Amino acid sequence: MDKVNWGLIWPLVALQALLAIIGLFSLAKAEQVRGPKWLWVLILLFGNLLGSIAYFTIGRKES
Amino acid sequence: MRKFWTLYSKEMLESLRSYRLVWIPVVFIILGIMQPLTTYYLPDILKASGDMPPGMLEGYEMPGAAAVMAQALGQYGTIGMLVLALAAMNSLAGERSSGSAELLMVKPIAPAVIIFAKWAAHLTVLFIALGLGAAAAGYYTVQLMGSLSVSDCLAAAGLYSLWLLSAVSLTLLFSAFMRGPAAAFLALLSAAGMSLLYSLLPSDFDWLPAALPDLSAGQLTEGSVAWFGPVLSAVLLILACIAGASMLMGRNKLPD
Repeated sequence: MDKVNWGLIWPLVALQALLAIIGLFSLAKAEQVRGPKWLWVLILLFGNLLGSIAYFTIGRKES
Repeated sequence: MRKFWTLYSKEMLESLRSYRLVWIPVVFIILGIMQPLTTYYLPDILKASGDMPPGMLEGYEMPGAAAVMAQALGQYGTIGMLVLALAAMNSLAGERSSGSAELLMVKPIAPAVIIFAKWAAHLTVLFIALGLGAAAAGYYTVQLMGSLSVSDCLAAAGLYSLWLLSAVSLTLLFSAFMRGPAAAFLALLSAAGMSLLYSLLPSDFDWLPAALPDLSAGQLTEGSVAWFGPVLSAVLLILACIAGASMLMGRNKLPD
C-alpha cells in the first residue's frame, strides 16, 4: 500500500470532470436556470460530485 | 403495443435531452468506485490528514471483498435513491404544469399506457445506472480486495435495483397528483419510513421492500437469503404505484 495505484484513481477524476463538463455544456445551452448562471458555473467547477448533482437536480429547469 | 413503444421512445429521447441518461449512470459509477477506493486507502487518507495518535491504525483490518461490495451497493440506497427520486419527480408533475399532459390526454391513449411508458423509461435509466455502477464497483473491489462471486453480485444488484425501483415508482405515483418536489419528498419519506419500521422491528417487518438492501448485503456476505417476501411485496408495491398513477392520470386533475 506504499505506492498509490494511479491507474485506479484517474478514472474517478476523469468521471468527475466529465460530469462537470456535461453540466457546463447543458448550462451553456439552457435558456433559463434556477438562480444566476455564474453561480452554477462556480458550483460545477468547485462543487465536485455533489455540486454536479445539485445542478442537474435543482438547477436545471425541465421544459 | 405500438403506442407504448412510441411513448417509450419519446420518454427515452426526453431522458437523453435532459442528460438524465448520461449523468445518472456517471454518478452511479463514481459512487460505486469511490467506496472500494476510500476503504482501501483509508489508512493513507487518515495518515495524510494529520495528527494520528500512534498505534491507532494497528487495529485497522481491511474488510473483505464481499463486505466492500455490499457497502458500495449501500451507497445507492442513500445518494443514489435521492438522485433517482429527484430525477423522476417532474415526469408527471412537469407535464401537468406545462400543459403537455392535456395534449397527450386528448389522444386516444389509455392513461395506463402513458404511465407504463414513463415507468419503463425510468426503469431503463435505473438499470443502466445500477448495472454500470455495480460493474465498476465490482471491478474495483476485485482489483483492490480480492475475488467476488459474479452470480452473487448479480443477485445482490438485482435485489437492490428492486428497492430503488420501489422508490422511483412511489415518486411516479405521488407525482401524478402533487407538485414535483413534494412528490420526491413524500416518496423518500415513505421509503425512509419503511426502512425505519424494518430496522426497529426486523422480525415483524422482514417482508417489507425495505428489507431488500439487507438481503442484497446478505447475498454477498452469506451467499443465500430468504428473498421471497420482500421481493413479492416490492413487486406488489410497484404494480400498485403504476395502477394508482394511471387512475389519477385518468381523472386528469388540473395542476395547482
